[in-house]
Amino acid sequence: MGPLPRTLELFYDVLSPYSWLSFEVLCRYQNIWNINLRLQPSLIAGIMKDSGNKPPALLPRKAQYLASDINLLRQHLQVPIQLPKDLFSVLLEKGSLSAMRFLTAVNLEHPEMLEKVSRELWMRIWSRAAKKAGMSAEQARGLLEKISTPTVKNKLKETTEAACKYGAFGLPVTVAHMDGQTHMLFGSDRMELLAYLLGEKWMGPVPPAVNARL
Amino acid sequence: MGPLPRTLELFYDVLSPYSWLSFEVLCRYQNIWNINLRLQPSLIAGIMKDSGNKPPALLPRKAQYLASDINLLRQHLQVPIQLPKDLFSVLLEKGSLSAMRFLTAVNLEHPEMLEKVSRELWMRIWSRDEDISEPQSILTAAKKAGMSAEQARGLLEKISTPTVKNKLKETTEAACKYGAFGLPVTVAHMDGQTHMLFGSDRMELLAYLLGEKWMGPVPPAVNARL
Repeated sequence: MGPLPRTLELFYDVLSPYSWLSFEVLCRYQNIWNINLRLQPSLIAGIMKDSGNKPPALLPRKAQYLASDINLLRQHLQVPIQLPKDLFSVLLEKGSLSAMRFLTAVNLEHPEMLEKVSRELWMRIWSRAAKKAGMSAEQARGLLEKISTPTVKNKLKETTEAACKYGAFGLPVTVAHMDGQTHMLFGSDRMELLAYLLGEKWMGPVPPAVNARL
Repeated sequence: MGPLPRTLELFYDVLSPYSWLSFEVLCRYQNIWNINLRLQPSLIAGIMKDSGNKPPALLPRKAQYLASDINLLRQHLQVPIQLPKDLFSVLLEKGSLSAMRFLTAVNLEHPEMLEKVSRELWMRIWSRDEDISEPQSILTAAKKAGMSAEQARGLLEKISTPTVKNKLKETTEAACKYGAFGLPVTVAHMDGQTHMLFGSDRMELLAYLLGEKWMGPVPPAVNARL
């Protein structure tokens, strides 16, 4: 048997467009690299508050840049991401508390569904191409009931605090555990560096599909 | 004769560590890709002021992250970059006005020296933790880059002239017009389009836009394009 897979924690919030990009690239590589990808639903609003940071979109030129950057990355990363018509309303007013509590509940009860449901939520906010994630209406209802329980609320709080302890001031945050070391990488643009640290091959953001590792 | 090279403008300030990383990667690719690299000495302090942005190092967790990020990138990009002992004094007190005016003068009078002199200034501040604000510091860097003492002194005398001051101002304003809120900013001109990319971590995306091959931040050395 080969070396043990290295754990990669991905702290993300569906309110964060760059989190979606990290997510898709890491999902592509989870069956190529010797890694164990642990998705960690977190609350970006909580991270901003705890770190004293502010959403970049509040600075006009950053908001402008975000729009063009996302457009270019859509093509390069082949993720169908588009800015919503009312970006500010989405980012600053509506927020993502219910969505991230929902994903926390999914992670607690049906972790095998977490990837698909996360993707579906991103599709709804950040794309036009939303479709159903395959959860039964009953399952979804049951989970919706759970999102205000102390268990779920606390779990989301703990995960968000864990990201803060790793030094997060925003999302996405990827934490690589390897050879007794821990590396925290911020942003969706540290994937090639991550490959370098893991001693794995970087084949760009859209690697050729390979057979799942046995 | 093949297609015309695409112009890439690199707006940078030696005060900016990520500018150095962009600079080195683009210098490596300038003889591999079909590009014409135009170095544009700019003032990051002016860009911050104009855009309403603040230096990231002012937020404690960003300063912390910067330290670990730079350490990892040193290895990955093979650039000998190290944080100075007193990061805040370097970034927030001493600044880079004289250094960037000097590079502006170099660009006006000896543009063929701009790459080497820029590198020597970065090596001082971001590799050996040496000063770049005093006249003697700048002269030493220029001489290390291969300039004669006379040439260097001559350029140093010009840094307070309206010509040099205005040129630095114009270049900084140009970056702002492209939408800069920080540095480095790479502007690619191609097929009648203009793409502004921020940061040292958009190089693979740049390759994609140019239709060029990305071979990582340390591409195998190739013969200079004829």
